[in-house]
Amino acid sequence: MKAPPVDYIRPRSLTEALDLLANAGAEGRVIAGGQSLVAMMNLRLASPGLLIDIARLPELLTVVDHADAVTLGACVTHAAIEDGRVADPSHGLMPRVAATLAYRAIRTRGTIGGSLALSDPAAEWPVVLAALDAEVILYGSSGWRSLKCSEFTTGIFQTKLAENEIIESARIPKLSADARCGYVKLCRKSGEFANALAVVVTDPRRGYSRVVSGAANGAPLVLADTSRLVAAGPRDPDALRGTIGSDLDHASDRHFDEFERNLHTVAATRAVQQVLV
Amino acid sequence: MPNDQYGVGASLLRKEDDRHLHGRGQFVPDIKLPGTMDVAFVRSPHAHARIRSISVPPEVRSRVFTAADLPRIKPIRITSHATGTKAPAWPPLATDKARYVGEAIAACIATSRGEAEDLATAVAVDFEVLDAVVDAPRDMHGSRHLIHEQWGDNLYVERVVEGGDIEAAARAAEITVSRQFRMQRQSGAPLEGRAVLACRDHRLDEVVVYSSTQTPHTLRVALGEFLDIEARRIRVVAPDVGGGFGPKARLYPEEIILAALALQLDHPVRWVEDRGEHLLTAAHTRDHHYKATAYADWRGRILGVDAEIVVDAGAYGLWPQGPYQEAAMAARNLPGPYTIANYRARHYTAATNKAPLGPYRGVGRPGACFAIERIVDEVARAVGRDPVEVRAENMVRSDAMPFTTVGGMRLDNGDYRESVRQCAELLDLPAIRARQQEGEPDGRLVGIGFAAFAEQTAHGAAEFVARGAAIIPGFESCTARILPDGSVVLMVGIQSHGQGLETTLSQIAAHELGIDPARISVRHGDTESTAFGFGTFASRSMVMSGGAVARASRMLRDKLCRIGAHLLQCDPAQVRCAEGAVLGPQGSVSIAEIALVAHLRMDGLPPGVDPLLDATATYEPAIGTGVFSYATHGAVVAVDPETGFIELLDFAVAEDCGTMVNPMIVEGQIRGGVVQGIGTALYEEIPYDEAGQPLTGTLADYLLPGAAELPAIKIGHLHTPAAATEYGMKGMGEGGAVAPPAAIANAVRDALASIGAEVNETPITPRRVLAAIRQAQTGRRGG
Amino acid sequence: MTAIRVRINGSEVADDLPPRLSLADFLRERRNLTGTHLGCEHGVCGACTVLVDGEPARSCLTLAVACDERAVETIEGFGGDPIIAALRQTFHQNHALQCGFCTPAMLITARDLILRQRAGSEREIRDGLAGNICRCTGYTNIVIAIAEAAKEIGKEAPNAQ
Repeated sequence: MKAPPVDYIRPRSLTEALDLLANAGAEGRVIAGGQSLVAMMNLRLASPGLLIDIARLPELLTVVDHADAVTLGACVTHAAIEDGRVADPSHGLMPRVAATLAYRAIRTRGTIGGSLALSDPAAEWPVVLAALDAEVILYGSSGWRSLKCSEFTTGIFQTKLAENEIIESARIPKLSADARCGYVKLCRKSGEFANALAVVVTDPRRGYSRVVSGAANGAPLVLADTSRLVAAGPRDPDALRGTIGSDLDHASDRHFDEFERNLHTVAATRAVQQVLV
Repeated sequence: MPNDQYGVGASLLRKEDDRHLHGRGQFVPDIKLPGTMDVAFVRSPHAHARIRSISVPPEVRSRVFTAADLPRIKPIRITSHATGTKAPAWPPLATDKARYVGEAIAACIATSRGEAEDLATAVAVDFEVLDAVVDAPRDMHGSRHLIHEQWGDNLYVERVVEGGDIEAAARAAEITVSRQFRMQRQSGAPLEGRAVLACRDHRLDEVVVYSSTQTPHTLRVALGEFLDIEARRIRVVAPDVGGGFGPKARLYPEEIILAALALQLDHPVRWVEDRGEHLLTAAHTRDHHYKATAYADWRGRILGVDAEIVVDAGAYGLWPQGPYQEAAMAARNLPGPYTIANYRARHYTAATNKAPLGPYRGVGRPGACFAIERIVDEVARAVGRDPVEVRAENMVRSDAMPFTTVGGMRLDNGDYRESVRQCAELLDLPAIRARQQEGEPDGRLVGIGFAAFAEQTAHGAAEFVARGAAIIPGFESCTARILPDGSVVLMVGIQSHGQGLETTLSQIAAHELGIDPARISVRHGDTESTAFGFGTFASRSMVMSGGAVARASRMLRDKLCRIGAHLLQCDPAQVRCAEGAVLGPQGSVSIAEIALVAHLRMDGLPPGVDPLLDATATYEPAIGTGVFSYATHGAVVAVDPETGFIELLDFAVAEDCGTMVNPMIVEGQIRGGVVQGIGTALYEEIPYDEAGQPLTGTLADYLLPGAAELPAIKIGHLHTPAAATEYGMKGMGEGGAVAPPAAIANAVRDALASIGAEVNETPITPRRVLAAIRQAQTGRRGG
Repeated sequence: MTAIRVRINGSEVADDLPPRLSLADFLRERRNLTGTHLGCEHGVCGACTVLVDGEPARSCLTLAVACDERAVETIEGFGGDPIIAALRQTFHQNHALQCGFCTPAMLITARDLILRQRAGSEREIRDGLAGNICRCTGYTNIVIAIAEAAKEIGKEAPNAQ
C-alpha cells in the first residue's frame, strides 16, 4: 500500500520543531528514523497531517559521556549503538541488544528515541532502558522534565509523553565494572519481533538488581520479586522459576495464556542464568 | 568451445545473470509507458456478504469502475470434462455477492497508486454480511450456509481412488496405525507480486497485456474468451518475472479487468499488487486435511492404506484447471513410492469463503508426502523398527519397474532404496545417533527424520485427459531460426522465471547444432514472438520445451547438413555439425556462410531446398504417463523442549532426475524448493478466524525463511536416465518442496521419541510442539 | 509539494515531490532507476535496500523528502566499486541468483557486510543476510558467493578499512 497524503517539514532546531508541533495540534507528528511510522503509513494504519522531521537535529544527536551516566540523544540510531560508535554505559549490553533488533538496514535509520516514543510491546529499548534504570528526558512547551523509563511506558503503544512534547534523550547510569547483564530474545526468525524478551541487570556495587520482561502483552514488566532474588543470589532453580511465574501472575494489567507464561518464564530464567555463571 | 563445455550436461553459467546483477532486469512494474494510470481495487472486507449497493462520489465517478461499468467482461468459467464437478461462474468484479475477504468489487484509477488508493477509500459499499463458511471438513456437505446457493452443498467435487481390497488388508493387518494430518493454508509468496500493465496498440490493432505470469499463451486464450476478442488482437508479454512457483500459473480477475480498462480507456493502465493484496488474494495453497489408516504386518510391510482427504479450495476455481487437481493429486500420490497393494482414498474438494486455492510447488504432493511419510514412520515405531529400514523395505524395487502404484502412478525407473541409503549417508546417520545418545549440553533434543517421494513430471495429454482437464498441457513447441549471419534464436512457449531456461535451452540447441550457446538467444514469454506453448509449471519445461528445442534443432541441423554438403560438394551422409560449422571429409563451411546462402544468396542452395533456416517442432514424451524423478530428503533438528522452538541443524537431499542438462541449475532448483518446503514445515500459514478473516497480513506475521534460519542444503545425485525423453531428462523443479515438511516432522518425532510426542500439522510451530509434548505427557493422543 | 536536492549515484538531482512518496517510488517512478525493487513495503523483505549516506536503508520506509541533502546509491551506481565487482563475479560463478528480483538488494547488503568485515564465516554471513529474503535460491549459493568475494577483497586489500 502507499502512504496517505501528508505534509512534511524539516525544522533546523529543537525549538522550531516544538513550535511546529504545537501549531499542528493533533495532526502533527515528529518523525525520526521513520522505520515504524512510515511502515504504519504504508499500511494506512497511521495518517498524520504533518510530519516534522527531527532526525538530523543536532540537539537530538548529542551524546554526553558523564562521570556516572551516558546521555544518548533521542535520534542516535540502533546501528550507532550496535557498532559502539557512541559511549556505552552498559558494558556491552546495549550493543549486544542492538545487534538483534530487526535488520541492519532498519538499524541504520531507526532511533532509540523513536523506539521509546512508540513503545511497541515487542520493542527492545523500552525493556533494556527499564532494566538499566535509565531516565527519559522530555522537552516540551514548559521546558524539560525527566521520567524513569520504567514508568514512561504505560501500556501497548502508550507512554507518558504529553502533547507537544518530544523525547530529547535517554540518560543511562553507568554500570560498575563488575556488574553483570543477561539478555534473552526468543523468536523464530532472526530479526522478527520478539515472542519473549528478558533483560537482567545486576550491579551489586550500586545495590542494584532488576529483571524485566518484554514482549509481554503490555508495558515492560519489572519482575520485582525476581529482581530481589537475583540480588540475593538464587540457589534453587525451582525457586527461581516459581518466583518468575509468580511475578508474571501478579501483573494485573495483562493476561498470559499458558504458552506465553511458559515462554516468558523460560526467557527470564535463562537471562538470570547468564548473570549467575 | 567444445561441446562438453556447453552442451547437455554442462554447468554452463547463466546468460540471465548479467542483467539482474546490474539491476537491468525488466519486471512488469519497470516498464514505463507514457500516460499510464495506476489502479487500486476496492476489495471486500467481508468473507461472505451480499452487495446491496456501491456508492461513488459523483466527481470521481469516471475513475471508478464496477462490474456494470465494464460490460464486456464475461464471468470466468472453468470447463471440466470430469463428471460431477461443479464450477461456479466468477465475475472478475463482484456483482451480487462477495465470497472472500479481498474479492475485488471496483477498480479505481489515478495518476499514482497512492492516489488510486485514496480514491478507493471514497467508494462506499453497502453490505449485508452473511455467515462465513470456513471449516472445510465440517461445512462441506452443506451446513446451513451455502457459498454457491445453486449447489446444495459446498463441494466442488468428491471422488474415490481405489485399488485392491482394502477390507481384506484391514482384516489381515497385524498392526493398524491411524492418524490425522493437517497442512495449513499458505501463500506461494514469490518475492515479486502480481502485476499487470495493459495498453492498446493501434498500429497493430491489439490490446497488449504485460503480466507477471508463468503462462502467457494460455493467458491470451483466457483474455480472448472472457473479453470476447480474437486472439490475433491480443498480445501477452511476460517479461522478467520475479518468481512464480505456481500461483502465477493461473488466470486472475485483475488481468481481465486491466485489459478491459485498457480497451475502454485507451490509455495504459497498471496494477502492481502489494504484499498485503498478495497474501490476501493471490492463489492460496496447500490447506489439506487427512485422516489416514495404515494396515501393516508385524515387520512393518504396509498392506493397505485407507484415507479421507479434504482440500479447502476457497470460494472459486482458478482458470483453467479449477481446483479439482489438488485433492486428486494428493489421493493418487498418497501411496508414495511404495508397493502398497490395497488402497482407498476418498477425496473432497471443498468450497469455503476464502481466497481461491491454486497450485504451488508440488501441488498435492507435499500434503500427500507429509501424510504417508509420517505414517511410514509410525508403522515402523509400532513394530519397533528403524523408520529408515521400514521405509526402504516398502519401496518399489528398481528391478520391479515399471511399476504402477495403487494410486495409478506408473513409476518408470530408479533406485528408490539407494536414495534412502545415500541420504542417510549425507547426514551421517550413525553420528547423529551417537550424538543423540550423548545428549545436548543445553538440554535440547536432537532428532533425524527422512521422507521420500516420486514425482510425476512431463506427463502428456493422456494424463490430463484422464483428469478431465479442459485444457491439456500435453506438449511444448519451439521455433528455431538461424538468422542471415548464422546467429540463432529459439522461440519457445514456456516462460523462464528463475529456472535458467535462457541458458539451458540454448545448451540443447548448442548440443544439436554444434553452435556456441553464446550465439543463441532464447525468446520466451511473448505471444507475439513465440510459438504456442503452455508455460512453465508442473516441472515440465526442461523435458517438454527442451524436447521441442531438440527436435527443431535437429530439423535445422539436417537442413544445414544438406546445404553444407552441397557447398562442400559431398554427400549429406558424410557431413556433421560441430564447432559452428558443417564439417565434411575435405573441408568445412561455417554456419554463417550457410546462413548467408539460405537468405541472401539462395542461388547457392541445392535443388529442392527452400530458402530460410526456420523450423518449428512440438514435443511430447513417448510415455504419456510421465517420467518420475525421486528423492529422499533428510532433516536433523534440535528441539528445545522448554520452548518448543526448533533449529534446523542439517538438511540433505539424495535425488535422481535422470540426465541433468545443467547440474548447477538443477541443484539451484532443489535448494530453492527445499527452502520453500522448510517454510511450509516450520513457518508459513494463513490462519482464518470464524468470520473468515485472515489473521496474517504482512511479512511481520507471515514468516518467510531467511538465511539465518537455514543450514547449507546438501545434495547427492543418482542417475537413472528416463527411457522416453530426450537425453533421458526428467522434470525436477518442484521436488525440493515436496518432502521437507515430512522429513522435518519425522525428525521432530525422532527428537521427542523419549516423550512420545508427535506433531502432525504444519507449520510445526513452538505452540504445536509444546501442545504435542503436553498431550503425550498426559497420555492423550491428538492425531 | 516539497523541494529537495539529493545526490543519486554521484549526480545532484533537484525535484519537487509529494511528501508521501517513498524513496523507492521516487527512484523507480521519477528517476527511472528500476533496479530497486518492492516486495513488501513494510521493511521486512529487503528487496528495496539501497545506500543512504553510505549505509544500507530500506527505500520503502524512507521518505524521498527526508533524503534532502543526502546521498543515495542504487544498484545502477557502484561504477568501479571493487566490492560490487567482486560480488557480481562470484554471484555469477556460484549461481547465486535465479529470478533476479532480490539480487540488487542482496548485492548491496553483501557489500556492506564485507565493508564492515562481517563476512568472515558462514554463520556471520547468514546472520547478516537476515534482512534479505530470497524465495528462489535457498541461500546456499548466495552465502558461498559472498564468502568468496570477501576472501578476494581481503586478499587485495588486507589492511582495508
